[in-house]
Amino acid sequence: MGLLTILKKMKQKEREMRLLMLGLDNAGKTTILKKFNGEDVSTISPTLGFNIKTLEHKGFKLNIWDVGGQKSLRSYWRNYFESTDGLVWVVDSADRLRLEDCRKELSSLLLEERLAGATLLVFANKQDLPGALSKEAIQEALALDDIKSHHWCIIGCSAVTGKNLLAGVDWLLDDIAARIFTTD
Amino acid sequence: MEAMAEHSQETRVTGESGADKIQERLQRRHQARAEDAERKKEAQASQSVAEEKSGYFLSTFNAERASIEDLLSSCSGADRAVVTQTLEEATVKTLQLQKFLNDSMLFLTQYELRRAQDALKKLLTSSADIREEALPKKKFAFRARSKATDKVSAPPVTDTPTVTDSTKVDVAPAESVQCCFSNMDNVCMIKTAEEINKQDVLLTHLTNCKVRLFGSPSTLHMTHIDNCEILCGPVSSSVFVDHCRNSTLAIPCQQLRTHNTTDTQVYLHVTSRAIVEDCRGVGFAPFTCSYPTLDEDFIVSGLDRHRNNWSQVDDFNWLAAGTPSPNWALIPEADRKTNWEL
Repeated sequence: MGLLTILKKMKQKEREMRLLMLGLDNAGKTTILKKFNGEDVSTISPTLGFNIKTLEHKGFKLNIWDVGGQKSLRSYWRNYFESTDGLVWVVDSADRLRLEDCRKELSSLLLEERLAGATLLVFANKQDLPGALSKEAIQEALALDDIKSHHWCIIGCSAVTGKNLLAGVDWLLDDIAARIFTTD
Repeated sequence: MEAMAEHSQETRVTGESGADKIQERLQRRHQARAEDAERKKEAQASQSVAEEKSGYFLSTFNAERASIEDLLSSCSGADRAVVTQTLEEATVKTLQLQKFLNDSMLFLTQYELRRAQDALKKLLTSSADIREEALPKKKFAFRARSKATDKVSAPPVTDTPTVTDSTKVDVAPAESVQCCFSNMDNVCMIKTAEEINKQDVLLTHLTNCKVRLFGSPSTLHMTHIDNCEILCGPVSSSVFVDHCRNSTLAIPCQQLRTHNTTDTQVYLHVTSRAIVEDCRGVGFAPFTCSYPTLDEDFIVSGLDRHRNNWSQVDDFNWLAAGTPSPNWALIPEADRKTNWEL
């Protein structure tokens, strides 16, 4: 039993989750990823393609996929849907002009069959800007209350200061863990 | 004879001592083996925790199960309120037991696991039976909502929104908190640090305008700019340009994102990268203009003055490596604008 126990314990420790981070361009996806990972955020370029980060948090191994949000890249988003446990939708709270775009893109994502089981975390980013809309305003503009198909939560955050990033990710992990790691 | 006897005695003695030796050796060997076994056992024990022994699990599980059964049996004959309370307690305990079983799954054998699960199932059904018996549901009737829809209609929102009528959302671009300059034709506009420092500035629907933003905005958005000349101080994060044509822009910033822009010259200081998407005829040159408070504004913005990647532009519509994008070009030195007087 000794060796088997050790093996099983190791297996249990490898609790992996796959998180997909999407949103319009200039929303701050890469900045959130890098800030969360404790990296320098002042040299980030617009994402041409995608970034993957694997990091440990709260005993989970997180594979975070940050895919560029430019219009010409959005058609490639679907390539990353497979086996996603959590969807992180990042919104530039100060970009009022494109909120409608943002709502449309999100609602079309939520119809996606391969994302059906995923938990949705909406980051109302850039709350450090004086002109940023509140979390409540974003919630209404994106019609989040109409979402019945996914567990969701909206959190106001600032990727530049790092505020509330942890709170958001913690909620997401708890929700996913409650769903996939409870024994049947 | 005497001598012989002596001799034989001697051999007996040596024989005896030889047997002793063998026995001693055997004993020692046995002891060593026992010690070895003991050591192995200890090593094993150090790897397994008392809580992970199936014996411990079984005794705890059975004790807990017995206590729940006692609770359930005490329900018969008791009055309604007591039954409700007891059932509640039994349910909580059953759930705890289920969790204990889940946590112990790692080291239980299949057989033990199955038995424990059966026992739990029995507990659940008997508590359900008792509930049925003691607290019968109201007369049968159709319910409008099923349990499943009930679940999804209550998403686990941790932050419950408190949107009242007074905080009605206003998504209009013009709002007091944001620095917004829009819908202007043929205007010269100068803004200073007091107005725009650390603000997110929005310029929209400007035609034939000259704009000077002397200060350090936090971000800058420009949309629907036609035939304008815009000079802005260092922007600490990103600049977003959309639907701009026949214009000249001069901006230091951390990132530049240019969309749907045609025939526009950009005098740029960018510390990370600039990108273009759906653009045509965009020219790039280094930012060389100056105005009195530029140095201070650079300090406020936190931009690195010595890192300028103005010539490294990514075109999202031109991903072929090796061949340059036809959508943008560097402005030849001779054609660069040098006079930024208003």
